[in-house]
Amino acid sequence: MLKPILLVEDNPNDLELTLIALERSQLANEVIIVRDGAEALDYLHARGAYAKREQGNPAVVLLDLKLPKVDGLEVLAEIRASATLKSMPVVMLTSSREEQDLVRSYELGVNAYVVKPVDFAEFVRAIADLGIFWAVLNEPPPGSHRYIKPQ
Amino acid sequence: MPQDSTAIDIASCEREPIRTPGAVQPHGFLLALAGGAQPQVVQVSDNLAQFTGLMPEAALQRPLADIIGAAGAAALAQLLVDSELRERPAYLTTLRLGDTAFDVLAHAWDALQILEFEPARDNHGAELQRLYPLVGDFLNKINDADSIEALCAQAAADIRALTGFGRVLVYSFDDEGHGNVLAESLADGYDSYVGQRFPASDIPRQARELYIANRVRIIQDANYTPSLLTPASNPLSGKASDLSFAALRSVSPVHLQYMRNMGTLASMSVSLVVKGKLWGLISCHHAEPRMLSFHQRTVCEQLGQILALHIKNRGDADELQFRLEVRRSMVRILGGLTQGADFIENLRSVLPELLHFARAGGVAIVIDDRLTTFGDTPSDEQIRALSDWLGANVHEEVFHSGHLPAQYPPALEFTDSASGLLAMQISRIHQHYLLWFRPEHVYHIDWAGRPDGKELRAGQLTPRTSFQLWRETIHGSSTPWREGEVELAVEFRTALLGIALERAEQMADLAEELGRANKELEAFSYSVSHDLRAPLRHIVGFSDLLMETAGSDNPERRQRFLANIKDAARLAGKLVDDLLSFSQMGRAALRPIRVRMGDLVRGCIDKLAPDLPQRRIDWQVGPLPEIIADPAFLQLALYNLLSNAVKFTAGSNPAVIRISSEELPGETAFHIADNGVGFNMEYAHKLFGVFQRLHRMEDFQGTGIGLANVRRIIERHGGRVWATSVPGEGATFSFALPHHD
Repeated sequence: MLKPILLVEDNPNDLELTLIALERSQLANEVIIVRDGAEALDYLHARGAYAKREQGNPAVVLLDLKLPKVDGLEVLAEIRASATLKSMPVVMLTSSREEQDLVRSYELGVNAYVVKPVDFAEFVRAIADLGIFWAVLNEPPPGSHRYIKPQ
Repeated sequence: MPQDSTAIDIASCEREPIRTPGAVQPHGFLLALAGGAQPQVVQVSDNLAQFTGLMPEAALQRPLADIIGAAGAAALAQLLVDSELRERPAYLTTLRLGDTAFDVLAHAWDALQILEFEPARDNHGAELQRLYPLVGDFLNKINDADSIEALCAQAAADIRALTGFGRVLVYSFDDEGHGNVLAESLADGYDSYVGQRFPASDIPRQARELYIANRVRIIQDANYTPSLLTPASNPLSGKASDLSFAALRSVSPVHLQYMRNMGTLASMSVSLVVKGKLWGLISCHHAEPRMLSFHQRTVCEQLGQILALHIKNRGDADELQFRLEVRRSMVRILGGLTQGADFIENLRSVLPELLHFARAGGVAIVIDDRLTTFGDTPSDEQIRALSDWLGANVHEEVFHSGHLPAQYPPALEFTDSASGLLAMQISRIHQHYLLWFRPEHVYHIDWAGRPDGKELRAGQLTPRTSFQLWRETIHGSSTPWREGEVELAVEFRTALLGIALERAEQMADLAEELGRANKELEAFSYSVSHDLRAPLRHIVGFSDLLMETAGSDNPERRQRFLANIKDAARLAGKLVDDLLSFSQMGRAALRPIRVRMGDLVRGCIDKLAPDLPQRRIDWQVGPLPEIIADPAFLQLALYNLLSNAVKFTAGSNPAVIRISSEELPGETAFHIADNGVGFNMEYAHKLFGVFQRLHRMEDFQGTGIGLANVRRIIERHGGRVWATSVPGEGATFSFALPHHD
């Protein structure tokens, strides 16, 4: 069973570029897109519009820092505070290398912090690496299934 | 011989052994007892034989009965057991020895029981009955006296009536020890001394000390021949006998000469002790020898104590009244000082009150190069030189001098305006001063004889012979600074520095505000790194994609990439513009004037109209009041709010945007209500932050700076902003501006 990647991104341009990059990485995982922090939490807690979604946590959450309503740091904090979500890998995907964001993110227990490269080729490579690492190479927390590439 | 030898004089007088003269006045005799249960006479005065027929040597080492008879000795022995003897003589009884009645006084001192026998008046009961009502009378009369001088005059009159002395003076000592005659009561033929001053050298230091311990002293006849003690020294200690408290104590021959020079043969003095200090004396003189009984002296002593107590109370009351007045003045000054923002300007506004505060003739404020003077002061250069001198030489917070030239010789140049100086350092760090000047107060002292007029005869110390009025004129002095004034000046300084401190706190508040602004700036630069970087990255990303797809035949995709690039570029430009306007908002000065809010609103609607050709918007503008605000800034805030309303009602047909006002306590509120998409109240706290968005970019365009700008503008006007909404039904954005009185 293939676990999805949750992409939290409000900016339509960023969204399009990220999706293109993920597409090029040839990952078979489903990419679930939510557009702000509140929606991300709804999905993760399987509530609101996502009350009837399939059970299980995503393989990884790609989280933008700046999001409408609930920002990335707040989403991360809530994930780490939740008994069912806390061991889920979360990767910050952001425009900024601001130190305060880095520090706060690691304090809150982020698994990786990636600054989106300006160069598109690099951007594609970064997204592909992330996808492969977290969705394929990484051993997920106990209780979830490791992804086995279909033959 | 050198004539001007006051210093030598006093020093010599101060070596006079006044406590241990080794003799008594001869009008009574002294017996000293020692030896517990069976006391024996161990010391006697040589005039014993004159009163008892017994030679002094014959009385020594004998029981009392051998000297005054068994009956008298038994009576005294019982009384000595019953009464606890103290250092001050107590009256034991009146004994008859032969034909003469003696008042027997006893005190314990110098390890001895000292008995003094003074010839008594007859009929003691009648004397006491006559004397004690006088004390009650005096108490009644003294309550009506309304000044210290009046108190003293009453005491002088009553004591003269009581004692029959020809002259009774009441005088006080000033800080230098000179005696000023405050009141007197005279019989015919006695010279007046009131208003005159007795030099400090008239009463040597050790005499003053004794006067505090022993409150009444009498010399019945200045021509007496002292009666020596046998043995001469205290037989127990072997040291000179200490007669400090003996009623018969013989006085210094210098003093007797002084009395004779003054034409006085009998004298009594009663100490006025206020707060443990010798405040003054009641001094009684008589041209002829005069005898006073122990009871008369005791009543005089009591009158003296009552007078001292009233002087203390009156002095306290006067001082309190004076301090109250000065403090009232201080409060008025401090009130004036908190009016405006500029401390120095504030000080300038209360200059007349400052003058009044210190009862000064002129005042100067010295702060760095700024010098402000008011009233009668030295010249600017002289003041600057003076404050330099203060800075270099004076380390007290408050310095005062009633005779400035003595400490600062250049002040001789300006004694007319500033013989007196009260200087207050009004900064803990800088040499900033408040200076009060008191003009010269030329005054005369009428000395009862030249103060340095004691004359020396070869080898012998003699007191002055002249009591002729001698007038001294004092220059270069101001009226003295009172202790209360100086203390209140210190208090005033504390309050002043308190105000300065409060100002420092205001500065701290300001710093906090700056800190807040700084934080906003940080948020600003943070946002730049996020929000400005994103569109640049998008431009690069889509351009790369566009080049990749150059050869492909997907024109739709290429078109979208191009559109994305254009959007990102436009957004980047707008971000830069908005950020600039936002930072300007914090810097530019406000120029508030009276503004018609209705006009501003209509101006904004007109400005919005060209962008909305195909929209149906129902503008409902209620009656709007005039306010005080900067019109350019306020229009920008309004424009942001109205364009927000337009933006978020894009899906409503028709859009209804209602602008109204409301009077709230202390402020006028304005509401911009729309029927647009609204927002979730959960995120209302983020609305007015920089670059905060509650909607997806593609739903509602914008940089996220508009509302931050609105808040900044309104807060700079001292107002507040808030918003309420029901998602899907619309939002109401409000701001309130404080009323201007």
